[in-house]
Amino acid sequence: MGLVFAIEEFSAFDGPGIRTTVFLKGCKLNCSWCHNPEGKSLKNEIIKNNNGCLGCKKCIEDTGFLTEKSILKCPKNLIRFAAKEYTPEQLAEKVLKNKDFFDFSNGGVTFSGGEPTVQYEFLVKCLKLLKNKVNRALQTCGYLEEDKFKVLLKNTDCFLYDLKIIDNEKHIKYTGVSNKLILNNYKALVKENVKHYARTPLIPTVTDTEENITDICEFLTDLGENKIQLLPYNSAAGAKYHLINKKYSPCFNDKIQCNPHLEIFKRFGIKAEIL
Amino acid sequence: MTDRIKELLNTLRSKEYRKNRIEKTWDLSNFLNLNEYDKGAYGGILMLENETPVFIKNDEIGFYRKIKNMPPIEWGETARLGNITPNYLKLVGKGLIKTKEEIKEYIKKANNKQKEFYNCELNIVNAMEKIAKKYKNAAKTECPKLYNALKTVPFNKAESFYEAVVFVKFIIYCMRCFMVDHITLGGFDKYLYSYFENDLNNGVKEEELFETLENFFLSINFDTDIYRGVQQGDNGQSMVLGGRKINGEYEFNRLAELCLKASYELNIIDPKINMRVCKDTPFELYLKGTELTKKGLGFPQYCNDDVVIPGLIGLGYEKQDAYNYTVAACWEFIIPNCGCDVPNVTSLNFPLAVDKALRKYISKADTFDEFMGFVKKEIEKMCDELIKKANSIVFSKVPIISLLIDGCLENGKDITEGAKYHNFGCHGVGISNAADALVSIKKLVFEEKYISKDELIKALDADFNGYTELWHKIEGLPKCGNNDDYADELMCTIMLYFSDYLNGKKNQFGGIYRAGTGSAMDYIFEAEKVGATADGRKAYTPFASSYSPSITVKLNGPLSVMQSFTKFDFTKIINGGPLTMEFSSNIFRNEYGVKKVAQLVQWYILHGGHQLQLNAVNRETLLDAQKHPENYENLIVRVWGWSGYFNELDVRFQNHIIKRTEFGV
Repeated sequence: MGLVFAIEEFSAFDGPGIRTTVFLKGCKLNCSWCHNPEGKSLKNEIIKNNNGCLGCKKCIEDTGFLTEKSILKCPKNLIRFAAKEYTPEQLAEKVLKNKDFFDFSNGGVTFSGGEPTVQYEFLVKCLKLLKNKVNRALQTCGYLEEDKFKVLLKNTDCFLYDLKIIDNEKHIKYTGVSNKLILNNYKALVKENVKHYARTPLIPTVTDTEENITDICEFLTDLGENKIQLLPYNSAAGAKYHLINKKYSPCFNDKIQCNPHLEIFKRFGIKAEIL
Repeated sequence: MTDRIKELLNTLRSKEYRKNRIEKTWDLSNFLNLNEYDKGAYGGILMLENETPVFIKNDEIGFYRKIKNMPPIEWGETARLGNITPNYLKLVGKGLIKTKEEIKEYIKKANNKQKEFYNCELNIVNAMEKIAKKYKNAAKTECPKLYNALKTVPFNKAESFYEAVVFVKFIIYCMRCFMVDHITLGGFDKYLYSYFENDLNNGVKEEELFETLENFFLSINFDTDIYRGVQQGDNGQSMVLGGRKINGEYEFNRLAELCLKASYELNIIDPKINMRVCKDTPFELYLKGTELTKKGLGFPQYCNDDVVIPGLIGLGYEKQDAYNYTVAACWEFIIPNCGCDVPNVTSLNFPLAVDKALRKYISKADTFDEFMGFVKKEIEKMCDELIKKANSIVFSKVPIISLLIDGCLENGKDITEGAKYHNFGCHGVGISNAADALVSIKKLVFEEKYISKDELIKALDADFNGYTELWHKIEGLPKCGNNDDYADELMCTIMLYFSDYLNGKKNQFGGIYRAGTGSAMDYIFEAEKVGATADGRKAYTPFASSYSPSITVKLNGPLSVMQSFTKFDFTKIINGGPLTMEFSSNIFRNEYGVKKVAQLVQWYILHGGHQLQLNAVNRETLLDAQKHPENYENLIVRVWGWSGYFNELDVRFQNHIIKRTEFGV
């Protein structure tokens, strides 16, 4: 069984064509700018939308806390489980209901998260089930063991691969993990010549520094790569933290506009596209 | 956009010009003694006699209102015709002088009743001539370019694109003075094309013609605040671009392209753009249409020729008329030049039909199929009642429109007596709410026996208060819009009950009834008559607007919605009424997003959808506009079949727009 916290039809910026994006729970990184906080944990927690809460406390009147049954008592329907469980077959069937659109537009399915590779077994089963039926994209941070990544390389048609920070110490500081696996897996991806898009989230003062952008350019140039997609920081990133009863506290000043440093990309001859 | 047009746009936005209008006191003492034709013309002639020329700086089209208030004519029990696309060329290609001569010829052979009609038409043409002369004299100093045109039009036929456009504006101005609401522009790109092409061939530069076009677009926005309508903005100024020609070829001519471009540049609510599309429409055009959607005006609306034309032919329209179709104020398909259809004569309240069947008959039904028999019976009974009421409507004469409808002058008959088509259209309101309610009844009462028949009615009476678990249970059931056959098939079934039953029903003119999927304002007004419904909708809250998923449903997304809403054979229910979808304005932020939306539209058309209306909205903007209207003077939104300024809408309609599901990225 897999834990899926959202299935979004017509996600316009998750790969080519008309696509459905499947968001899998769980992530090993801990980026403070994460805009899907309900996707981080591998636990299927109960989440509550506080907008419109009447404060009637019907949801906790029986036991004092939220339970599977008690949340149904909310008269405003504001409480639910963060994710739904799917078997790979159920998920494949659901995705394929929109196959006609994918074929029509050269689109397909994109697995995202969280970090989709955290539910590795489930992901691989889904990818295999969908093989030759629909274009399969994977939106990943690339943080997993190299042998596992090699299996994914064989079962994925297109990667949307996050390159956040090249300096390892800074990567650890801002995401909680080393980028060694990430950069190695990216090299494997390029070597195997699987279709891919490198993507950098532009986080003000974190990833959008002159130094980091230059590092990214050098990294890509060394691999013979010449294009990248940039995802500007969205100030709505904190919008969902209230669902998991947490405060959004980014480790940077999010009032600052991010700087895409297009001149650096230009200098390296890298085509940078802002999404 | 030229500097002159920019200045004129600023003038329009400033609204300053409105201050120069005057109020008039009217003496209507003569009205009661008039014959029925003269009654239909009386107010308009009074208006034209009392109007004085108004010129707006930088404008070269003319014909604006000085008098704010119309003569308060009481039509009594009669209804006033609207939603007509007149044959503009009937006057533009002839001129008032020749028209008068023709009428004088007709009078010679007329009987007494026809004489009354023709004399009335003469009076109208005289009044039109008089105000045009006043304009001409005043234009000599106020606007020399317009003065030059007015030497020819409207007295004689137009010779150039500019003259033709001035003439069209003059007709619109007169129509509005005669209290004809919802007079549409129709296939403007087609009926003015020969003037456009001729000018180009004579060496007139396209930029000059485009400036004229933009001036015209602006000019029809200046007086819309004093047009009559249910809500401001609902004024019927729709334009229908492109389409299949009778030889089957698809055409979207250069003038149509320039109309799209003008609408894109000007960002104003009129004209409301419709694009006729079909299997042969090139993808490029969908891209252009989507660029316009991105502006947030709520148009273009797409109409699928491959469904609409066969549908209209199936209803009995002649081939050439079906190929010529235009749309009414919102989305009803109408026939230009010769039609006198009333496509919005009444509406069937689907959720009410299901609710009535539930309360009256469910105790007698042992199976769901039996219950559906009762639903069918109830729909038919309601249709009978609607037809009875509609068939007693008497329409007041509108001789001003008759001047522009084929066959009226020729036969000595008003449009309400002698048009080629006199069919009635009936909206279908709340179709998805009704189908979702049937899902609940089928699943919970008959299949799972989760709740008893009586208990369900009790829950509805209690507006689900004390029935929260039931309400949640209902929320989790299949719903229209999520591409679940369980719900969608019920939706198709009730649509067929409706259209099959209307098939063959006749109105007082001998015309037919056409079933439709639109709601007009009734998704609010009719919903306010209906308590809680079994789809989980709370009492008196709105239905879905036109042919759309219920606003309370959690949707999978636009792909499921489109699949759900293309399962029906729409040639059978072709009065009009679009699938309406809202997209976050964010999705249009780059070429990828625009291209994908365009692909979605094309998919819908290729898969037999009949009509589609997309909106680019930003919920935060709308919420902020409710709080700070002063900051959003120019915020335009699509309401039901038309676009209006958000600030000027009734708050119930504002709220509905905010609640509609917005598909994000």
